[in-house]
Amino acid sequence: MIVRRFTSHRSTRLTSEGLQFLFFTMAVGIAAINTGNNLFYLLLSMMLSIILVSGIVAEYCLRGLEFHRHLPDVLFANELATATLVVKNRKTRFPSISLNLFDVCDGQDIDRGLIIRELSPGASTLLSYPLVAARRGQLRLDGVRVTTSFPFGLFLKKAYFPVQGEVVVCPEIRPLADEILQDLLAAGQEHTAHRKGYGSDLYNLRLYQAGDDSRAIHWVTTARTSKLTIRETEAESQRRASIYLSLQAPESHGTEFEEAVTYTASLVHHLAIRGYHLQLTTDSSRSSFGQGNAHRFDLLRMLAFCEQREPHADIRPETEWFTEPQDTENSGALIVVRPWHGAEVPRSAGPALLIDPETFLGATYAM
Amino acid sequence: MPCDQALRLTSIGLASVSFIGLVLGASLPGWLMFLTASALMVTLLRTGPVNAITSVVRPVPLSATTWNILVLSGFLGFWIDSLWISGDLLASGIHFLLVLMVIKLFNLQHRRDYVHLYAISLVAILAAASRTSDLWYVPVFLAYLLAGVWTLLLFQLTKDTAVPSADLPRRLEPLESYSGVTPKLFWMANGLAAATFGLTLVMFFVIPRVNAGLYQKGYGENVRTSGFSDTVDLGSIGPIKRDRSVVMRVELPDRPTHEVGHFYVRGMAFDRYDGRSWANQLAHRRNLSEDSPEMFTLRGSKSHQLLSRGAALHQHIQLEPLDTPVLFAAPFAESVHGKFPAVQSDINGALYLPFPSSTRIEYTAVSRPNTISPDDSRPQPITYPESFLRHFLQMPVQSDRIAKLARDISESKQTVYEKAVAIQEHLSHNYQYSLDAPLAAQAHPLEEFLFVRKTGYCEHYATAMVMMLRSVGVPARLVTGFLATEWNEYGNYYVVRQQDAHAWVEVHLPQSGWVMMDPTPADGDSLAETLPAWHRVQSLLDSARLRWNRFFVQYSAADQLAVVRDIQTGGVSVRLWTLDSLASFLKPLTAAFEAGMSHLTGGYLTPVGTLVALLLAGCGAMAWLVWARPWKWPRRAAGAAGDEQVIVQLYRRTLRQLERRGLRKPAAMPPLQFIRIIQEEWSTASTAVACITELYCRARFGRVPLTTEELHHARETFKQLRSLSRS
Repeated sequence: MIVRRFTSHRSTRLTSEGLQFLFFTMAVGIAAINTGNNLFYLLLSMMLSIILVSGIVAEYCLRGLEFHRHLPDVLFANELATATLVVKNRKTRFPSISLNLFDVCDGQDIDRGLIIRELSPGASTLLSYPLVAARRGQLRLDGVRVTTSFPFGLFLKKAYFPVQGEVVVCPEIRPLADEILQDLLAAGQEHTAHRKGYGSDLYNLRLYQAGDDSRAIHWVTTARTSKLTIRETEAESQRRASIYLSLQAPESHGTEFEEAVTYTASLVHHLAIRGYHLQLTTDSSRSSFGQGNAHRFDLLRMLAFCEQREPHADIRPETEWFTEPQDTENSGALIVVRPWHGAEVPRSAGPALLIDPETFLGATYAM
Repeated sequence: MPCDQALRLTSIGLASVSFIGLVLGASLPGWLMFLTASALMVTLLRTGPVNAITSVVRPVPLSATTWNILVLSGFLGFWIDSLWISGDLLASGIHFLLVLMVIKLFNLQHRRDYVHLYAISLVAILAAASRTSDLWYVPVFLAYLLAGVWTLLLFQLTKDTAVPSADLPRRLEPLESYSGVTPKLFWMANGLAAATFGLTLVMFFVIPRVNAGLYQKGYGENVRTSGFSDTVDLGSIGPIKRDRSVVMRVELPDRPTHEVGHFYVRGMAFDRYDGRSWANQLAHRRNLSEDSPEMFTLRGSKSHQLLSRGAALHQHIQLEPLDTPVLFAAPFAESVHGKFPAVQSDINGALYLPFPSSTRIEYTAVSRPNTISPDDSRPQPITYPESFLRHFLQMPVQSDRIAKLARDISESKQTVYEKAVAIQEHLSHNYQYSLDAPLAAQAHPLEEFLFVRKTGYCEHYATAMVMMLRSVGVPARLVTGFLATEWNEYGNYYVVRQQDAHAWVEVHLPQSGWVMMDPTPADGDSLAETLPAWHRVQSLLDSARLRWNRFFVQYSAADQLAVVRDIQTGGVSVRLWTLDSLASFLKPLTAAFEAGMSHLTGGYLTPVGTLVALLLAGCGAMAWLVWARPWKWPRRAAGAAGDEQVIVQLYRRTLRQLERRGLRKPAAMPPLQFIRIIQEEWSTASTAVACITELYCRARFGRVPLTTEELHHARETFKQLRSLSRS
């Protein structure tokens, strides 16, 4: 355990200057052995000491460091976010100097351009850097790699600090043109009757009756008419939409599939911020209807992890309730996004809008 | 001072130190010294802050091709120098090195140019080390080490700023960037240099010495001596009597410091005099037997046990490289211990190496002078072998005046010894010592000395005595060597210089054998009597030089073995002492333990059982130490405290402030709930309290370290809170 304590997470590499220095050290060593001149041995000792001091000081620079990573709760693919790293020098006497910091992800060092010139003993510092995820899914950062070539620049000493960080990367959100949204939803609304219920949009004004909720009093009309007037809202079902994303696509349609996911995410996003109750269904999972930011992020997380399936593959539902029949009357409009023409379209009692690859691969995004 | 400017300065310093090393160690041509010094000065002025000067010494823009042509010209010059001018590969290599340094100094533009300059300076200091081993190398080496550490450090610190990053904007932590040489950087660099120096010393003594050299060569020229060849002209010692070059240093470990006086160091003995020069006709050398490794003993020494011998005198001699193979020691050497391939001796008792050493050598000699036997104070018939008389009663053709003088002096004396003493005293008392005696030019220098000038120096006195003794039938020979008078009180050794070269006489007494006698009167200018202050400094320096030579220049594998043996011996002593101390310290404990255990076990606990129990307890304690690492406890606490303590104190002060304003936090109330009460009761202060509380909770319960900025923000918020008034 003690051996591991000193050997794990450390590696050393020669710099170009270090290589030259080592070459000269060897040359002086050979000259010392060859001539037996003790002054050569003195110079050799000096050069070896410099190498030794270099290693010891570099080790002290990397020792006693503590890292805390702060990542955003959710990331969107190709969208700039800010990550922060708190670095603390736990040493009581020695500073840490000339540190270069790298994120370690899947064994790869990712240079974020983070440099700490000096971190005094006991001091801490906050480093923030832009974080861009290239693809949706789970972004996992394994740790932080710290390198230093202090004090003499002869060796590059590396230390690995396991500081795990995980964040869900949602699909990229692209702006959708308003007219497209209107076109998508108009057909659905034509087939639906207006009725009162719990919602946010105004349905009707009527006089107050005993038992009505006092919070529903419409104060403006009450003041104008001097009669206690109640505000009735439109039923939420009128603003419902169910989005179906087909996961079936041949392997050659990887790009189309990703575009379909991105389009679906953009649709979810734009409809959600318009107050729609949304349900997202894929070949393997189905969400409940819901509204608000939390639900929106749930749907986006769902999209973050959906995977492309080969056509006619045996698809197992991820949730038990997926197999249960749903209330098709209150499901609102059904928007079907399919990345491949051959994908099956679910049957629907209500209006269904089919979005094929030509739609989301064309110029349908607002610029 | 900005770091880049400091780097330029230290780089020039590094080059200057190596240049000084070469100037002191190698004999450089004047033009080359001037050129290099000028280049260093100009480059130094360029780095200065004064614009007027820098504009004058502005670099001349030359293309890379031009610089390369200059280097090639220098290389061509190196071959010309090597083949026709100096004729020495090493010397011409050093010249070429300095030419390269000058070219590089005028072309210091990129970082790689600096790296080249460092490489040149390293080779230069190496070349200086190959040319000398004198004491001045110590300050040069120390300066080089200091400049080297500074240069490497600054080179590293300026690396990030000098090389623009490829595609990423560097986010430099703005805490304390080393943009200039701050006091902290100053002490850090010097501390690193000190640490490097300490490690250098350790490594120097630890690195195993391997003498596998294909090119083992000395440095510099050997000291030219006089009087130590097979033929010596009379008067040849005189000219070197004004040379203060150190020839050897002799330590006498057996002799107390207060007994030091004049000390004779014997070189060669001569048996034949032709009227103008001495010759050694018994110069046939034979190898001494090597009784044990590196211990050479004179074969005849054991047979001399019949003679009356004095006490053995041990000498540790450090001999400078001389142009003679003679090994020096006090009269009469019995054995020599040194790292030599062989040691030889001739019949006259002189010791030789097979060839002159080109490096400084160290050896130990044991000598045992003959004492005067009481039998020699009685007249007795003397019979010498013919061959002995042929050599030691030989006289040149000369006038009878010398013989008559000798007879006049010694005719009243009965014994050989008395005659010798009479002649010695006559010469000592009736003649004056002077180095200004141009007797060598005379046709009969000895007669000129004895009867005309009556002034001379050691050679004349000794020659006169030998001739006078031989004329009255006493075998004698002339001996050359050194008469050491300069005692270094700081290092407790004799410093023997060229000016101490001396000649004296060895007289053969029938029973005592060869005894030494010196007719030369003491020189009036005694060094010790007129010891000026600067001479004390010289003594101190010479003592340092001796130590430098002994512990650094002459340090060898044998010394390493000796150190290891000392450590082993010391280790045993320390171990025994530690065990004894531990036993006496633990005695009451073990006694109590044994008593307790015997009580528990009914007296069946054996001493072995006690030992096993103690061992187990010791192992347990060791395991606990390894596991718990108690030496880390205070550090852990201190590390954990740090900023946490600061925010905890700040939070307590915040609570006291709120309490003064009538808002007391119940002990059982969580901090976050208390914020809600503050929001209701004193909304103006709620933001500040919430801020401090959030940081407090993070550091105290979340174990998340706070940054300096956050702590600063918390302090500022507390100040704002204090300035608020509650209505």
